[in-house]
Amino acid sequence: MANLKVDVTDLNKSFGDNHVLKGIDFKVANNEVVVLIGPSGSGKSTLLRCLNRLENPTSGKVSIDGKDISNTKTNIDQARENIGMVFQHFNLFNNLTVGQNVELAPVELGKLSKEDAAAQAKKLLTTVGLEDKYSAKPQSLSGGQKQRVAIARALAMNPDIMLFDEPTSALDPEMVGDVLEVMKKLAKEGMTMVVVTHEMGFAKEMADRVVFMADGVVVEEGKPEAVFDHPKNERTKAFLDKVINV
Amino acid sequence: MKIRLKLFFALFFATLGMFAWHAPQVHAATTYTIGTDVTFPPFVYANSNNKYVGIDMELIRSIAKEEGFKVNIKPLGFNAAVQSLSSGQIDGVIAGMTITDERKQTLNFSTPYYESGIVMAVAPSSKITSLKGLKGKTVAVKTGTQGATYANSIKDKYGFKIVTFDDSDNVYNDVKTGNSAACFDDSAVLNYGVKTGLGLKIVTKPTDVGQYGFAVKKGQNQKLLKMFNAGLAKLKKNGKYDQIIKKYTGKAATTKTSKSNSEGSTFFGLLRQNQKAILSGILETLKLTIVSIICATIFGILVGLLGVLPNKFARGISTTIVYIFRGLPLLVLALFIYNGVPSLTGTKIPAFVAGIITLTLNEGAYTAAFVKGGIEAVDIGQMEAARSLGLPFGKAMGKVILPQGIKIMIPSFINQFIITLKDTSILSIIGILELTQTGKIIIARNLEGFKVWAIIAVIYLLIITLLTLLSKWVERRIND
Ligand SMILES: Nc1ncnc2c1ncn2[C@@H]1O[C@H](COP(=O)(O)OP(=O)(O)OP(=O)(O)O)[C@@H](O)[C@H]1O
Ligand SMILES: [Mg+2]
Repeated sequence: MANLKVDVTDLNKSFGDNHVLKGIDFKVANNEVVVLIGPSGSGKSTLLRCLNRLENPTSGKVSIDGKDISNTKTNIDQARENIGMVFQHFNLFNNLTVGQNVELAPVELGKLSKEDAAAQAKKLLTTVGLEDKYSAKPQSLSGGQKQRVAIARALAMNPDIMLFDEPTSALDPEMVGDVLEVMKKLAKEGMTMVVVTHEMGFAKEMADRVVFMADGVVVEEGKPEAVFDHPKNERTKAFLDKVINV
Repeated sequence: MKIRLKLFFALFFATLGMFAWHAPQVHAATTYTIGTDVTFPPFVYANSNNKYVGIDMELIRSIAKEEGFKVNIKPLGFNAAVQSLSSGQIDGVIAGMTITDERKQTLNFSTPYYESGIVMAVAPSSKITSLKGLKGKTVAVKTGTQGATYANSIKDKYGFKIVTFDDSDNVYNDVKTGNSAACFDDSAVLNYGVKTGLGLKIVTKPTDVGQYGFAVKKGQNQKLLKMFNAGLAKLKKNGKYDQIIKKYTGKAATTKTSKSNSEGSTFFGLLRQNQKAILSGILETLKLTIVSIICATIFGILVGLLGVLPNKFARGISTTIVYIFRGLPLLVLALFIYNGVPSLTGTKIPAFVAGIITLTLNEGAYTAAFVKGGIEAVDIGQMEAARSLGLPFGKAMGKVILPQGIKIMIPSFINQFIITLKDTSILSIIGILELTQTGKIIIARNLEGFKVWAIIAVIYLLIITLLTLLSKWVERRIND
């Protein structure tokens, strides 16, 4: 229990009449890499967004590091400092340079001085292979470069856990590798990660556990080789057939 | 962000306060604020030096001198003057106002100071010679005057329609252009006009004879009323009264005025002759525009931001403010604030402050709408990314969303600045001597409607051009 990074119990989320998450139980241990798969509309993004309260759960409990995220009394801004998030469409701040994107949060939240933040930004940009883009505007970057900046930006707050929502699905195929490379590096360094992705290669290689969701419930979960090679559930099989045959 | 909001508020109220602060001084000691209509020669008009003169003006000033009080003349226009009187914004009205039973319900009148009847005037080429000739025709009158009341009382009998205008000049022009067949007005006024080259002819004898009186709000300023009566009696006794009447209805006065008219009937002549009045009109318009733009922008941004807050109550307030003040016609809002509110609360609001509040609320509502729209036009992902880093709403708004939203809003801001400038002209209704009101007053004297309005129009275009250039320059600096 003490080792649980993410502890979701009986999570329900509805948008109006649309009951999207139907009693989800979802745990992630420290240093674990969990890959979330499932058909479109099954609620993967919604679950991920409930983890840092970009969506308010309708009922149920979400704890991160023992902090009750679903409780409105919890200081959510403080909690989010420890939860990095990477979006499908990057969402780099268009009014700022690459460097400023990475420096903004630590400086504004009083974590680092301007100089220290700049030094950290350069270091992080080097890690993602973009040290020469420090002064560039986001608009001048390719999709893959943007996503790597977005990862650097999330890492700048020094989070304990990183959430990825289809980080490579908006990218041209030749860009995907660079982004996955950065994510693998992170995983190897022991970062706790929850990744929604259709990249089955990444899942097989890096995931400690694969969780298959459909229609708002967790249908099946287990080690990647177990889920991919010997799926127990018919819906898992059907889904994997489709994805792998594409 | 919070500090900046507070600063905004402080600035906003400080600006308003600065103008409100002047208010008590106007009404200090024995100075009375007297409303009038300066488009009503020979009773009240602005002479070629743009001093308010005429029978009413000389009377009130001479009486004030006799009785030892001071007057502050407000050129409000007849309607606004009477309204401002009943709302307590001013102390008295002298504007060639006929004493009627209806008016006595809400006003106390002095002893009459002049007697005048209603006559009908037509275009020189008109074949109409009596009321009978008006069947099926249109007749022009000035709002709220005795001429209007008279026309209304006989319109069914003689079968004509009525159009009303706020200024005498528009009444006469409507007859001259042939839109209206005739107009009704006080005989003294029309006689004066005919003599000074109005270009109309009088075709009936004075009827419906009425008496002019100085008015205060019923039950108020009784001391002022007593002083007026006492002073008038003194002037009648010492011959000053006759002197004044003769000065404005005798031959000498009218020929002198018509001469000064002909001096300045070219564009440049008119400009030169009215230089001072026009310049101070421009200045007032600029002052109104600048202060309004500042206040409306601050107010608009605050209300706009309220509209994107993650709080239903705040958004509700914002939507309601925008709905009300965008929905109200500017004219109604101006009259409501200047005349309506004081009659309820009993506090006077200087016209300039009322004007600023009016524009701040109206233009601010439009500003709020596009500020909200501009913020909402920024991709929602920007806010989500900022919040997911742990940035609080205010910081995310200030550092990420607003800088992007403002770029989207800039063209709307420039547009709104120009609209604000144009909308200041509507404030002429509450007697602010800005450019439009200045034009009205000049025309009331010299009847050069076309040329004076052309001059005023060109001046507005010039100011708008300057404002646009300035805004574009600022836009370029922001976008760099
Ligand atoms: N903000 C919202 N308002 C209303 N409905 C929403 C909202 N966000 C998601 N939904 C609905 O919730 C359901 C699940 O959406 P979600 O984005 O979680 O699916 P997903 O598994 O991430 O799908 P995809 O693979 O296409 O990204 C869908 O039916 C979607 O229409
Ligand atoms: Mg999704």
